[in-house]
Amino acid sequence: MTMMLEYVPTVCPYCGCGCGVHLVVRDGRIIGVEPWKEHPVNEGKNCPKGRNAFEFLYAEGRLERPLVRENGSLQETSWEKALEMIAERLRDADPGSVGLINSGKLTNEDLYVLQKLARCALKTNNMDNCSRFCHSTTVPALVSTVGSGVMPTSQTDIAQADCILLAGVNVKETYPLIARRIIRAKQRGTRVIVVDPRRTVTAKVLADIHLQLRPGADVALVNAMVKTIVEEGLEDSDFIARRTKGVEELRAYLAAADMDELAEVAGVPVHAIREAARTYARAERGCILYNAGIAQHAAGIGNIKVLANLALLTGNYGRSGTGVNPLRGHLNGEGFGDMGPLAVFYPGFAPVNEATAARFERHWGVVGLPSEPGMSYMDMMEKCDVLYVIGANPMASAPDTGRVAALLASKEFLVVQDIFMTETAELADVILPAAAWAEKEGTVTEVDRRVQRIGKAVAPPGEARPDWKVFCELAGMMDAEGEFDYGSAEEVFEEIRRTVPQYAGITYERLERAGGIQWPCPSEDHPGTETMFVGRFATPDGLGHFQVVAYEEPVEMTDEEYPYVLTNGRLIFHYHSGTMSRRTKRLNDEAPSGFVELNTQDARETGIEDGNEVRVKSRRGEIRATARVTDDIRRGMLFMPWHFTESGPNTLTGPCAGPPSKMPEFKFCAARIEAMR
Amino acid sequence: MKDVYLAWSSDESILERAEHGGVVTSLLKFMLDSEMVDAVLALKPRNGNRYEGVPALITDPGQVIETAGSLHCASPNIARCLKTYLDGVTDMKVAVTGKPCDIRAIVELAKRKQIARENVILVGLNCTGTLPPAAAKRMCREAFGVDPDEVTAEDIEDGRLTLTLRDGTEVSRDLALLESEGYGRRENCQRCDVHIPIMADLACGKWGTSGGNVTCVEVCSQSGSDVLAKAVGAGALEVKRPSSEALQVRERRDKEATDAAKAWQERHFAEMGGSSSEQRLAYWTEQFSQCIKCFACKDACPICYCTDCYLEADRGFIAAGQVPPDIVFPILRTVHVADSCINCGQCQDACPSELPLSRLAHMLNVEIGAVLGYHSGMDIGAPPPLSAVPEDELAMLVAAGT
Repeated sequence: MTMMLEYVPTVCPYCGCGCGVHLVVRDGRIIGVEPWKEHPVNEGKNCPKGRNAFEFLYAEGRLERPLVRENGSLQETSWEKALEMIAERLRDADPGSVGLINSGKLTNEDLYVLQKLARCALKTNNMDNCSRFCHSTTVPALVSTVGSGVMPTSQTDIAQADCILLAGVNVKETYPLIARRIIRAKQRGTRVIVVDPRRTVTAKVLADIHLQLRPGADVALVNAMVKTIVEEGLEDSDFIARRTKGVEELRAYLAAADMDELAEVAGVPVHAIREAARTYARAERGCILYNAGIAQHAAGIGNIKVLANLALLTGNYGRSGTGVNPLRGHLNGEGFGDMGPLAVFYPGFAPVNEATAARFERHWGVVGLPSEPGMSYMDMMEKCDVLYVIGANPMASAPDTGRVAALLASKEFLVVQDIFMTETAELADVILPAAAWAEKEGTVTEVDRRVQRIGKAVAPPGEARPDWKVFCELAGMMDAEGEFDYGSAEEVFEEIRRTVPQYAGITYERLERAGGIQWPCPSEDHPGTETMFVGRFATPDGLGHFQVVAYEEPVEMTDEEYPYVLTNGRLIFHYHSGTMSRRTKRLNDEAPSGFVELNTQDARETGIEDGNEVRVKSRRGEIRATARVTDDIRRGMLFMPWHFTESGPNTLTGPCAGPPSKMPEFKFCAARIEAMR
Repeated sequence: MKDVYLAWSSDESILERAEHGGVVTSLLKFMLDSEMVDAVLALKPRNGNRYEGVPALITDPGQVIETAGSLHCASPNIARCLKTYLDGVTDMKVAVTGKPCDIRAIVELAKRKQIARENVILVGLNCTGTLPPAAAKRMCREAFGVDPDEVTAEDIEDGRLTLTLRDGTEVSRDLALLESEGYGRRENCQRCDVHIPIMADLACGKWGTSGGNVTCVEVCSQSGSDVLAKAVGAGALEVKRPSSEALQVRERRDKEATDAAKAWQERHFAEMGGSSSEQRLAYWTEQFSQCIKCFACKDACPICYCTDCYLEADRGFIAAGQVPPDIVFPILRTVHVADSCINCGQCQDACPSELPLSRLAHMLNVEIGAVLGYHSGMDIGAPPPLSAVPEDELAMLVAAGT
């Protein structure tokens, strides 16, 4: 007979919306998800993933005890032995040879303690995570234009926009509860423009105007839109005069550009470009939302800069429901940047240099903190001898899987800390079992700078531990300088408040309210900040800076041998490498396996029919997939979802941008497709 | 002849914290004290938050007081809790409080053998509507100029919504006007014409109390009569009969609320797509194109009781992985539930694509109910017409050789 039934509020563990859910806990086990109707982000509604959020926790194969590889096979061991082994290796290692790949699924507390461990005990700045693969272009682009790479408007204000421009983001599938905001906006007459080379469900059911551009041609398209606005006198001259700099250079550049040429490059007729430009420019509030389709290109920085130009030109910054809004993917994608477990920032976006190192030496009461920028994700994969991978799955998420497999196999020492035996964990020397979401206390920060608490609803299985605790124990074993004896996640958060100015006024108690608090929050009586850049931008002179960007081709263009553009992306039913979603019945039943989308005419000409098994090849490798023949994709293009590692497009991807972003060009590489006979 | 009493608690501590004489609180506590039930399922404001009402399963009589008072900004799915999270209460006796929609949902589920009705004592609560909590907080700020955290009570009476604040003051506004501005009650509540839950064992409310610190209790079943008699006999409650004037007021208020609901029904149903079939088909095709197969509507609906639903991807009927799903998906679900929809609104509350699901099902239910003479959720002995074949109909079919 049931005697204990509780409805526990928390935040869905999947994407960066941070939707509220009530977990129904009966006698110590989660048995259901119910709507948390008070939550301001989703008001009691969830997408298919959120509705089934907890199921993966109870799937077979949860890592419960530390494992070490002995004589080729994995043996269970004690925490003490496993951590001792790791401590010994790390203690002797040269700081330059150790790399830490962390995760957007780790809490702020986990990430803060990790970067403290890396800097105090390992004296290294070699840290990064999968944000490299989605918004590493966002940060330099938006820093150069508006001074900060965060989402400037609040999710709850998106419906105030009169025109919403969705660039490279299939919101219906990737951020369904933001799509809901767009549905509500449309109910009050808002016009929606979708920029995407695929006719996604977003284009089909939300777009008033779909600019189905040639892949990678975003700069040409947006330059053409900006040119239209300038030519037709639709700019916001007052805003430009008061709050921006550099418009003359942009005007001069665009005056010399040829509209027909731009349209040709973009693959969109001039009249459609003009209509879209006018619609956006004439809106009282124009809101641009963008994600991987824009950012995951070698030219990603340029793609984002021109979007910023569009918004600055039309005065679409500093008011609710406006801005150029990057949508970070993970539950704690924003928190990752804030907490600084990366190569070029300490916590609070303090740039890695001597002054910052000195400041943190004072904060932490230590000496000798590393002051040179460290290595980013793929550089660590290539060059580090020792890798510590936490909550990440490079075998699925990194480009050029074949090379990644070879690199991981060649590491002197590979530690993987995770909740399941992922493809990456299978190659590890030591595996540590982590407590998952709902099994530990902590905070996470969503797309709109929204800091929220996730609570411990149930106990972790076996001997799995919260990540931050593992880092503390490791620090202890390594006799690290600095304090690592936190008694609770809240104690870690109190230190975060002291070192990350944007979080200063946030407390666990204040976070008990539904929807958390949006940073910056400088003091305990400050309500948090919904809209950024209201009075000034975060640039040194407070102004928004126009940037001149010329169209550049993607790194690996098609040729005779590889005539198709291969792009990849996500489906609504799964999340990233599928570690959680592929262990959830309803989600798996909807989408049990991968596929490759191929245009109907291309299919006819290559003799491929819908449902055929095909081979897809690139310069880096070959995979098998099932063909899905459709008119929703352009000729000469292929699309694959990347959730299914057994037919993972990352076996085929590879080329990356150079510094500062080092972004892999996931959205564009050259491929060929063949029927399997 | 209605069996109606005015009642109040004999317990000072309950009288202090509860509303209208603390009758429901006292009944629940009595049922636990006397071991008539193993547990009580009621609503409590989680951590004192009036906008986060959650079901509370209580076994300790001392904790019942946490459920005292009414929460107008909470509408969790009580019937689902009984059916799914308490396994239909086949192995325990519970007393459950609920609004008319909650009680009707339980009645329909009991008909379908998903809840053991014999194990449940239904304490129904009069209701003229609840508010969606996130929107209600905005309403407090924007339409009342008050901090939602300062609200200690809400009341809907005489066409007005009144908020009581922590400092004892009240702010009040015309409800119809509020609702014309987009604030106010959940949509289904606006249309709801069942305010007194006579399908429960006891129906408790403030109509007929003439403003006294008492609750008006209507005995609706033998079980309810037993509970009330025992509670009074044990000294947990005191009762007296209401005056006939008070009863007339109660009837009048009910009728006024029902008339207002019918006007809302007309309005809502008329807003769906237009008068021609072509217009309506175009409307629904566009609406349903937003569906993302989250199954929240199916999970929330008390009539959707199939554990192995035909619409799930593993049944092979609706193509897996398609967004939006084939239009058959929402239409089939609607058709399956239309005869029994009780307008609880949980489907529409849960839909991330803003589909007017409750409006649609309710509209069909009103039409079907008129044709088939069936009022869903009222009589546990009345089988759902579209899924039950009564003996005489069966005999007719057999005779016709079908």
